[in-house]
Amino acid sequence: MANDLSRNERIKEASEYLRGTLAEGLREEITGAIIEDDAQLVKFHGMYLQDDRDLRPERGKKKMEKAFAFMIRLRIPGGVCTPQQFLQVQHVAQTYGNHTMRLTTRQTFQLHGIIKSNLKATMREIDRALLTTIAACGDVNRNVMCNPNPLQSRAYRAAYDTAKAISDHLLPATPAYREIWLDGERIVGGEENVVEPIYGKTYLPRKFKVVIAVPPSNDVDVFAHDLGYIAILDENGDVVGYNVTVGGGMGMTHGQPETYPRTAEVMGFCKPQDAVAVAEAVVTVQRDWGDRSDRAHARLKYTIEDHGLDAFRAEVEKRSGVKLDQPKPFTFDSTGDRYGWTEGEDGNGHLTLFVQNGRIQDIPGGPQWMTGLREIAQMHQGDFRLTANQNIIIAGVAPDQRWDIDKLVEQYKLTRDASPLRRNSMACVALPTCGLALAESERYLPDLVTELEERLASHGLSDGEIIIRMTGCPNGCARPYLAEIGLVGKAPGKYNLYLGAAFDGSRLSKLFAEDLDHKGIVSALDPIFAAYMSERRPGERFGDYTIRAGFIAQTSNGADFHNNTGAKRTS
Amino acid sequence: MSSWPIPGTAPFAPEEIEILNRVVGPATPVQRAWLAGFLAGLDAAASAPGTAVLASAAAPQGAALAPQPVAPAQPAEPLTIVYATESGNSERLASDMAKAARKMNLKPTVIDMADLEMSELASAKRLVFIAATWGEGDPPGRAVRAYGELMGEAAPRLEGVQFGVLALGDTAYADFCGVGKKIDARLEQLGGKRIADRVDCDLDFDEPAGKWIDSALKALAPAQDAASSRVIAVDFGGKPAPAGELGPVEAEIIGLIDLNSSQSDKETYHLELSFEGAAPQYKPGDSLDLYAENDPAYVDDLLKAAGLTSDAALRAELIKNRDVTTLSLKAVETYAEVTGHQYVKELLASGKAREWIVGRQLIDLIQQFPIALTADHLRKVTRPLSPRAYSIASSRREVGEEAHLLISAVRYQAFGRARKGVASGYVADQLKKGQKVRVKLRPNRHFALPAPDQDIIMVGPGTGIAPFRAFVQERRATNATGRSWLFFGDRQFTHDFLYQLEWQNALKDGALTRMDVAFSRDTPEKVYVQNRIWEQRRDLIEWLDKGAYFYVCGDAKAMAKDVRATLVKAYADVKGLSAEAAEKAVAGLDRAHRYLADTY
Ligand code: SRM
Ligand SMILES: Cc1cc2nc3c(=O)[nH]c(=O)nc-3n(C[C@H](O)[C@H](O)[C@H](O)COP(=O)(O)OP(=O)(O)OC[C@H]3O[C@@H](n4cnc5c(N)ncnc54)[C@H](O)[C@@H]3O)c2cc1C
Ligand SMILES: Cc1cc2nc3c(=O)[nH]c(=O)nc-3n(C[C@H](O)[C@H](O)[C@H](O)COP(=O)(O)O)c2cc1C
Ligand code: SF4
Repeated sequence: MANDLSRNERIKEASEYLRGTLAEGLREEITGAIIEDDAQLVKFHGMYLQDDRDLRPERGKKKMEKAFAFMIRLRIPGGVCTPQQFLQVQHVAQTYGNHTMRLTTRQTFQLHGIIKSNLKATMREIDRALLTTIAACGDVNRNVMCNPNPLQSRAYRAAYDTAKAISDHLLPATPAYREIWLDGERIVGGEENVVEPIYGKTYLPRKFKVVIAVPPSNDVDVFAHDLGYIAILDENGDVVGYNVTVGGGMGMTHGQPETYPRTAEVMGFCKPQDAVAVAEAVVTVQRDWGDRSDRAHARLKYTIEDHGLDAFRAEVEKRSGVKLDQPKPFTFDSTGDRYGWTEGEDGNGHLTLFVQNGRIQDIPGGPQWMTGLREIAQMHQGDFRLTANQNIIIAGVAPDQRWDIDKLVEQYKLTRDASPLRRNSMACVALPTCGLALAESERYLPDLVTELEERLASHGLSDGEIIIRMTGCPNGCARPYLAEIGLVGKAPGKYNLYLGAAFDGSRLSKLFAEDLDHKGIVSALDPIFAAYMSERRPGERFGDYTIRAGFIAQTSNGADFHNNTGAKRTS
Repeated sequence: MSSWPIPGTAPFAPEEIEILNRVVGPATPVQRAWLAGFLAGLDAAASAPGTAVLASAAAPQGAALAPQPVAPAQPAEPLTIVYATESGNSERLASDMAKAARKMNLKPTVIDMADLEMSELASAKRLVFIAATWGEGDPPGRAVRAYGELMGEAAPRLEGVQFGVLALGDTAYADFCGVGKKIDARLEQLGGKRIADRVDCDLDFDEPAGKWIDSALKALAPAQDAASSRVIAVDFGGKPAPAGELGPVEAEIIGLIDLNSSQSDKETYHLELSFEGAAPQYKPGDSLDLYAENDPAYVDDLLKAAGLTSDAALRAELIKNRDVTTLSLKAVETYAEVTGHQYVKELLASGKAREWIVGRQLIDLIQQFPIALTADHLRKVTRPLSPRAYSIASSRREVGEEAHLLISAVRYQAFGRARKGVASGYVADQLKKGQKVRVKLRPNRHFALPAPDQDIIMVGPGTGIAPFRAFVQERRATNATGRSWLFFGDRQFTHDFLYQLEWQNALKDGALTRMDVAFSRDTPEKVYVQNRIWEQRRDLIEWLDKGAYFYVCGDAKAMAKDVRATLVKAYADVKGLSAEAAEKAVAGLDRAHRYLADTY
């Protein structure tokens, strides 16, 4: 085995718990980059080395290296932050970043465009706000998501506390982070099990993602993650335990059928007090069983496909000492957010705003997100909650403060809502910052949606809620394979169209047509919209309809994703 | 051009004949007579070993052997010519004057004010200053010390010293020829006797300067009695004229690219020129004068305002040859004179004109005070368009018969009008690859590389980086063993890092030992090269103690001053010196020609 370990495994091994030569690299003044191995390690610290791809063509001619800059991803369990923290993150974005903040599909902020010479200053400011970026990326447990559901306040509390507990428990323990970014003392040596009791020297074979969903909302897309918890509530709305799901994931590679998205399976039921132990066991089994030779086959979803769920469950129970019960019944209604004001059981108000593609910026003539949210943060007493749909909730607003917040929302043209299609749309970042993008996404989807809105309207479908998601490559950062309309970048201006996913996030889609340009997308969907209008049954969802009406075959699970693809009907 | 005395049939190679002709052609009868006698004497001497008197002049620029006359000549009258120069004009005029002086039985000694000792003034009988004004009425950098001494208490009395001053300047600047004027007044104050009235030259100084030199020499030359006029006195000890006198040459643009990123708010053009045949024999540190043309759109606006749109010939002339943008007080006065414009006269009378012209251009004057104008009026209020100097950013050892320039586009808004620099605008907006431009070598032997084994420290923010690209290329080509340390600064690391890839390579291949950068707009608090110098002061002083040469190039207004001040502070801090002692230490570098500045 050891001889065919993937490159990253050797890098981790040699890194002395994620130090590598980062400290030296940061002092290299005349390049904005860091060496390749360190670029892999810096992810564990929450950063990615990127370059502005819009500028690539001109750089060489101008005798300059690529326009390197770092993306910093924060770690915000459950997506909850205080107004003070929000203000600090915004301050950093204004001072060192590209003057925007990016709400991600996993409930946190990303800052783009931070040059190397400003990294440490940025990290210090983030630390000052009691925020961190450790393990926001890398082969470790990432930010733990939790349904920010403001309605069922009690269930939410319990779920959030569990999320936080799991997040803290699975945090890497290496002192490298403080050392490198916050000029902490170098703590040398230390036994492996002392430094990283859970992870060890080489951490996990691949990224690892945990979520907690509170039915009936599946806004966190629980089936898209390595490890999921579905809260089971009693009649008083208290959490009695969790159905544990494992083996979800979206990422795949074009033309490589051995890679595929997969919806997680329910492994069993555990009590709230056992949730952390189960999480640790799942992590350590994946640590030991996961494929460390092929990163394209290293996610938990493949480990489970290879070993089978039963073997995996048995090992988890053995290591955790927790006997998992039969899963409890549950139902999800949707994966979307509820926009506008809602009132929690505790009487406090919660305002969910629609942030197109999660990009917080002041748009000339449009919404002034940066300014507006700053003003709100300056007077807001409650907290902010970032949703898995790249939106933001101004949560815990006392009744007497609603009016002031409404005023600011109006004043800065912040959007409470959008057309049914738009408010159910998500696009990943893609160009110009993402190094893996094959096509535009965040910068393109809004225009496509505008045109599709017109098509829908022309068929009298303006009210139809349809989930549409786009990504610039098949990695699936906006979970496109769980969208009723999924568009995945193949090449500049070219997308693959996926149909047939379930509205509640429980079923994957299937490839309908390949390499469509803008026109191609619209003219592929237009006749299906028309048919949907005339043939749909009462309450029938678009995704379900496309299967019943025979446009696309149904995907039962990951392994079956690439079978029987293509348009079965076109109009 | 005078006749060619030496026939093509002479027993020399054609290029030798050409050289001889260049010397003998313009020579005076006196010189020719001497040469004849000298050559005869030379052979005589050669046959009688030991008696040959061939001594080489102490000129660093590999001056031609400087023979002494074999026949002892009557000693000529001494003349001391001091020049204060930044970009070499005064220096050139000084050596022109020395040449002319020799023909008039004077024995000129040419002194760079940088090396001037006050004692030399006191002992001088005939004294000429050719001085340029820089900064905002300041003396050229290298002349600062001597200038200070001349103006200070310790300055010697100059009773009986005959003097004349030629001032170089630019009417575009408020303090026109300020330095020349002050020196002129000071010499008189010290008891000197002015025997040639000062002339203040604008950028087109060649003609007025030539005239002044002739008349000044007439006044200074010893009365020549019939006898002495036949006596041959020769002295070849003077410095050879620098190679700057080669006229303008044509160059083809083979590369023109804006080095700043498309997201930068600056434009800095890397201009690659190639020459028919050999490139001017430039050295790292030299500059090229670029002959630019005015922006046709601007000239059309100007002609419109002047009501002369129909005059195509005038249009062409203005675009090519006249400085139609600079608005000097002189220009306003001339305008009032030739047009008799009432309001302009009042403006001048009110004394407000001086501030009114600030930031304005000729077109503002004409638009604000319109009046029927003739082509001749326009010629009178404008001066010839002068070339702009650009540091050469390449070494011939690396680029062969090419020369590279680095040109920052000057663009700004003033009084509701978008303005641009004539030359940089020409480069940025008019020139295209394949086009031709005229350039002229502008040597600067005061900004040259030291011996290859010497360490060098280069401070060049913005376009100040240009000559150091030449330095580094030269050092690479010559496998120089000395260490080299470069300080660069600009606005943004990502968008304004000029030649970044080349510096990275230079650091890899060793042509560059070390580089520190300062980008002022990447952080809340602005960081400049002087801040980096301060941070690195320990290493820096250690380099200087080991004999490193310190070079500064770029902005004269702020940067050069701040850098010098920082260096003084560094000396004080690292060596625990008093402010005065530290200042002395840096002045010491000046004197040793190890603190070299080329700023503008
Ligand atoms: C910001 C975000 C998309 C967004 O618009 O919100 C994002 C952005 C990136 N993802 Fe992602 N991913 C984001 C959620 C996801 C999700 C969705 C989820 O987890 O719910 C997925 C699919 C689920 C999964 O993990 O399978 C996802 C699957 C990937 C993959 C494929 C992983 C795989 O095993 O197949 C990559 C590439 C990789 O890891 O090799 C990737 C890599 C990336 C990188 C870091 C590109 C890179 O590796 O150089 C992208 C940075 C772009 C940029 O410039 O910001 N991202 N990424 C999301 C940040 C989440 C967070 O806060 O942590
Ligand atoms: C020895 C030497 C070397 C040089 N080397 C270089 C070099 O390597 N690279 C380089 O780029 N330059 C260099 N320069 C400067 C260069 O010669 C020109 O002065 C410069 O390019 C501007 O010329 P221009 O014709 O474009 O502008 P001009 O037409 O001469 O206009 C410049 C004038 O415009 C006015 N002006 C400019 N900006 C503003 C403003 N913001 N507000 C109001 N008024 C303003 C000022 O009066 C200024 O004097 C060097 C100069 C010297 C003397
Ligand atoms: C940056 C700069 C500043 C100048 N400042 C003045 C000035 O204040 N007054 C003036 O009369 N001439 C000024 N000049 C014009 C010079 O004196 C003029 O170009 C002169 O010919 C330079 O002579 P030199 O080559 O001997 O230094 C300045 C020129 C430059 C490039
Ligand atoms: S899906 Fe692909 S293009 Fe989009 S952000 Fe993720 S990695 Fe980048």
